[in-house]
Amino acid sequence: MIPDNWGFVLAAYSLAAIVLGGYWRRLVRRDRELARAERSHAVPTAGQPRSAPASRTPLE
Amino acid sequence: MSRLLGWLTAAGLVAGIVMGFGVAPREVTQGNVQRIMYLHVPSVWVAYLAFTVVFVASIVYLARRAEAADRIAHASAEVGVLFTAVTIASGSIWGKPTWGTWWTWDARLTSVAILFVMYLGYLLLRGMIEDRERAARYSAVLGIIAALDLPLIHFSVYWWRTLHQPPSIVKPGAATMPSVILAALLVNFAAFTLLYAYFLHTRVRLLRREQEAMA
Repeated sequence: MIPDNWGFVLAAYSLAAIVLGGYWRRLVRRDRELARAERSHAVPTAGQPRSAPASRTPLE
Repeated sequence: MSRLLGWLTAAGLVAGIVMGFGVAPREVTQGNVQRIMYLHVPSVWVAYLAFTVVFVASIVYLARRAEAADRIAHASAEVGVLFTAVTIASGSIWGKPTWGTWWTWDARLTSVAILFVMYLGYLLLRGMIEDRERAARYSAVLGIIAALDLPLIHFSVYWWRTLHQPPSIVKPGAATMPSVILAALLVNFAAFTLLYAYFLHTRVRLLRREQEAMA
């Protein structure tokens, strides 16, 4: 019978947690980035008309 | 939907850990290091599943030019590469105390390494081609060709003399392991499949939003 080698078990599970957890965090971060980008390019809703670019002066 | 799937996955993974470390007994010949099996085998199952999805979605894309099929293939390949990396790493860590080596160029290990490199190449190819339609077409062809390695991996342990043991579950006849170990393994199979579904669903949604933002 070979020894238990808990160190190997811990290493395998820790590595998997880092890889899979890292990917999950990457997905969450990308989701937030996209949400921020979508908000900044949001189309004005009805009742909130946006002025036409030509009607604005640069120092306004 | 995504949130529910996320919570189900988290519950599944907790159940998998409880089954693998709390319910399943210490294996008599290998000792506790055998518990790596509850991570290694479900990981390779998910990798098989992910690349099978790439194969089917790539065929659908080439036949119908459906962008949704391309997004599914792309997302599934990414998740498949991730789980193949976990499979190789956990197998290597398991191999050191049981076989006495981190790696050997045995038929099963080599064919899995080839699969990993082919789908890494698939992801690189997608990233290298700027034209979306051309990237989707080329990667669909590569996705189909690379999937031909899957049966080779499965049957490698029968066709060549290898260090790796033959399948214990996906084979003719009953599973060759005690029922409590089999139950722990099946719970982990379910948990990892849920994790795959969660990653795939989230990544496909992100790809669609990225494409809409660029359009």
